[in-house]
Amino acid sequence: MDIIVAQSLLEPNAGLIVYKVIVFALLLFLLRRFAWKPIVSALGEREETIDTSIRKAERALEEARKTGEKNEEARRAAEENARRVMQEARAAAERVRTEELEKTRARIRQMQEQAQAEIEREKQRALEELRDEVAGLAIRTAEHILEETLDTDRQRKLVDRFIQQLPRN
Amino acid sequence: MRALNTNIRCRLVVLLLLAGCACLAPCLAYAADEEGELDAVAHTADGVYLDFAPFGAVELPRIFLRKDPWGVDVFSSTRSALLSERYVIEHEEDGHAEVLHGEALHAAIEHHEHLYAKPQPVLGSMVLDLSVTRHLVFGLLAALITVAVFVTLAQRYRRHEDRVSAPRGLFQNMFEGLIVFVRDEIARPCIGPKYEQFTPFLLTAFTFILCCNLMGLVPYAGAATSNISITFTLAAFSFVVGQRRGTRAYWRHMFWAPGIPLPVKCLLAPIELVSLIAKHFALAVRLFANMMSGSLLILSLIGIIFTINMLFGSLTATFVAPLGIAFTLFISFIKIAVAFIHAFVFTLLSAIFFGMAVEEHHEDETHAEEQPALAG
Amino acid sequence: MDPTALAYLGAGIGAGLVAIGAGIGLGHLAGPAMEGSARQPEVANHIRVSMIIAAALLEGVALFGMVICLLLTLKT
Repeated sequence: MDIIVAQSLLEPNAGLIVYKVIVFALLLFLLRRFAWKPIVSALGEREETIDTSIRKAERALEEARKTGEKNEEARRAAEENARRVMQEARAAAERVRTEELEKTRARIRQMQEQAQAEIEREKQRALEELRDEVAGLAIRTAEHILEETLDTDRQRKLVDRFIQQLPRN
Repeated sequence: MRALNTNIRCRLVVLLLLAGCACLAPCLAYAADEEGELDAVAHTADGVYLDFAPFGAVELPRIFLRKDPWGVDVFSSTRSALLSERYVIEHEEDGHAEVLHGEALHAAIEHHEHLYAKPQPVLGSMVLDLSVTRHLVFGLLAALITVAVFVTLAQRYRRHEDRVSAPRGLFQNMFEGLIVFVRDEIARPCIGPKYEQFTPFLLTAFTFILCCNLMGLVPYAGAATSNISITFTLAAFSFVVGQRRGTRAYWRHMFWAPGIPLPVKCLLAPIELVSLIAKHFALAVRLFANMMSGSLLILSLIGIIFTINMLFGSLTATFVAPLGIAFTLFISFIKIAVAFIHAFVFTLLSAIFFGMAVEEHHEDETHAEEQPALAG
Repeated sequence: MDPTALAYLGAGIGAGLVAIGAGIGLGHLAGPAMEGSARQPEVANHIRVSMIIAAALLEGVALFGMVICLLLTLKT
């Protein structure tokens, strides 16, 4: 009995082989038809989808990068522009301010000068007047003196010296 | 903190397993007392019954094809075949065989001896024993599981959005991983550009063998691949599928290798043919031997406890049992790895043989001239 | 001598030789594999996989021997 059992361990069983051929052929057919075909095709489809998605994403990324670069450039240009405009405006303002200041200062100086000149003129005139007055006064004084001493020449010199001695103003 | 936790948990599991071994040991020693012996070979070998010890055994149907007169006899069990008196078994004793009848037959059935004997028809002679055997049942079960799993999986790819979206859940991820593994790691690198026509066979072989191998680890079940008939059938399928697609160049290189003198050619052709068959034979025996030796080893390790029980008494056996069970546990873990590795190796070697068969050889000058004439 | 005893003897010696052969083979396989994965840890995974495949093939050869030994013991 033991020997029969032991032999069956290594002895091919024809009946079992017949069954197994049928079972495995059936298994192969069933799995191929109902499992592997849909699954493998789905896997292929998915891989294709992933592949195209990746390619699409790469393309989109490239485009985005390009757009970004373009945007950056535009932004930089705009900034540059703005800075330039601002600088120009600032310079113009500065210029205007300096000009105004200069103008004002000039006018002030002019006015000052005018006033000075006026004052000078007034002073001159006043001096003239004063001198005339003093001269007249002196002459009248001299007349008075002359009426008394007739030595006009001496008297004149005297008066001149007196006038010289007077302070200028 | 987490690593520490895992470490503690691992230790706990090992401790529990060892404690389980220790608890199981006296039971086994006791069982050894009851049963007397454990026949590792009978459990590994094929049989016409399903063993559900200690709940008894279920006899499987017997189908016989006989001639003179031709006919098919179907019985629900070996017992009914013998009791119908149309089939008999012989009992061999002291060199001469005698046919069992009446009381002796009943006694043999009582001792389950009839399950191991080869019944012979009273009328005519046996052509083919088409009985349902244990390994056939396990193989069928494995085939059913494979079909159930993968046809269910295929349902997941029905809608278009499911076909293109990422796999969801453990089930789909696990089995899709297997399929992708077979396709990308086995079929594509080994066969080359023509791999697509072989993927169905490779996938079927891989999943079926894997399922069978893993069933070898299930209590009361067994690995159908530990039966040499089944692995032979698988190897034969591999042979047929591969050679059917063999290119002209492949056959030519095998039987009429170019650039070799004529006598050597004549010598080489049979060698090539034998090596081709031997490769597939080795494919079958490798799978069978690995699977069979695994279950034989486990049963032998358990059997050591029983042997020690018989030789040195139950006390020694009780102490040896935890060791034996721990080692069995270790071998069982190895068997899980072996189940995967040998499903992989069978598929891989099949794929390599397919690759050899469909490879387009780079023809040399004289060849290129001959080719059109041959094609015409 | 009894032919059965001779067969058993042959099977036993054969099993031992098979074990020796397989052991040497596996040693030759695993040693350089370990060395290789120690030298280049980045390809250790690849080495391990090919080592397991080669070991499985080697084990297959050893099991051929085992089957012959089994045949010797069983075919009495």
